[in-house]
Amino acid sequence: MENSAFHSQQKWNIGFIVFLTLLLTLLSQISIHLTVILALGIGLGFVLQKSRFCLVSAFRDPILIGMTQLTQAFILLLGISILGFALVSWGASQSNIPLRLNVFPLGVHTVVGGILFGIGMVLAGGCTSGLLMRVGEGFAMQWVGFFGLLIGAVIGQRSQVTWRNAFGESPGIFLPDILGWAPTLILEILVLAALWRLAKWWQKKQLGE
Amino acid sequence: MNKILPTIFHGPWAYWIGAIILGVLNILVLIVRREPWGITYNIALWGEWIGTNLGVLNDRGLTIHNLMAATGTYLNLGLILGALWATLVASQVRFKPIRDKKFFFSALIGGLLMGYGARIAYGCNIGALLNGIASSSLTGWIFAIAVFSGAWLGSKLLLKYLM
Amino acid sequence: MTRFSIEIWGEMCPIPLIKAKKKLLSMQCGDVLVLETEHSCTSRGIVVWAKANRYLIEETEVANGIWHLELTKTHD
Repeated sequence: MENSAFHSQQKWNIGFIVFLTLLLTLLSQISIHLTVILALGIGLGFVLQKSRFCLVSAFRDPILIGMTQLTQAFILLLGISILGFALVSWGASQSNIPLRLNVFPLGVHTVVGGILFGIGMVLAGGCTSGLLMRVGEGFAMQWVGFFGLLIGAVIGQRSQVTWRNAFGESPGIFLPDILGWAPTLILEILVLAALWRLAKWWQKKQLGE
Repeated sequence: MNKILPTIFHGPWAYWIGAIILGVLNILVLIVRREPWGITYNIALWGEWIGTNLGVLNDRGLTIHNLMAATGTYLNLGLILGALWATLVASQVRFKPIRDKKFFFSALIGGLLMGYGARIAYGCNIGALLNGIASSSLTGWIFAIAVFSGAWLGSKLLLKYLM
Repeated sequence: MTRFSIEIWGEMCPIPLIKAKKKLLSMQCGDVLVLETEHSCTSRGIVVWAKANRYLIEETEVANGIWHLELTKTHD
């Protein structure tokens, strides 16, 4: 970069690496488990920023600008996660390690919550992972969004009971319990493949105009 | 090697490369944590703690020790630090102030809606959507359809009020 | 060949791209659209969109965290 307005920030970078190393070393004296978790968190933030991964974009861009490249990448991420989770939960059951998967109860609040969440993420310019990533990147707008998220999350957490009492909820349906593991995985991968084809077709159609 | 490393640090990486590495990290989190990656539950806990200490909320017995022992705290902190590091590595750190009042309000309202929606549905895009579907839970798929409809409504609002 | 520019400074995704698309409609073939943003994802999104559309796009970092984009409308 020969431009005069561009200054290297490598000194700060080295300082920050020293800080992260110290933080991880300090934490490792207290708990190795939490140290590994923090390192994984740093890795997730790093990759999210470097690949400009944005789940809002994956949902919103097909609607607003007809681009689905991130949607396709998100479908790929879903596919990898489904297969990985199946493998890990199989391994855990083989060696009797307790493992909790995210099979949540289903109710009216699932749909209402999803819709509110969808509206919110478009307005705030980032879903929760994107919000945290942009908090780190230095966007004042997402700092405000994060403040809203804190308040909203507390109110939401405290009104969970009200929703449950008002509309009830059915226990979560773990698909392999009904269909068996192999058909579930085949079905899910087929659905993802169909969505991927649809996304590809949609972008081609939108650009073709 | 002299050329590869700067390219990796500078980025940006292709979306699909990000997707593959995120997928691997997501699985590693499940292995280490014995439960999937999630964000908002921990945020709600921090909100509770702050609210209790400010005297706005009634005390439900949540202590700072609970928070510091929660794995979610370290995932969320790591996410912020990792993103900052990723920008610093590429010498792209810069404070971006809000240039227009409308974005202040959209961010605040958006954040509130997201926090509320995520907590009544037991999770956000990561915990309930990505990892709900990854857990082969039917709820995850239904939540995904709801989020997509919400994004569609949000897009209408964006075109109407923020353009 | 004419150079146009639009103000997208500080705008949230995807407003810059929607504005750019609208502006491009009124431009002739060979015209250049100049954009500047401090949002890493916005810059990336516009580059990906322009490439998918087979437009010529040049991205330069003019300062820390500021991207300068020059998009040439190569076809209608």
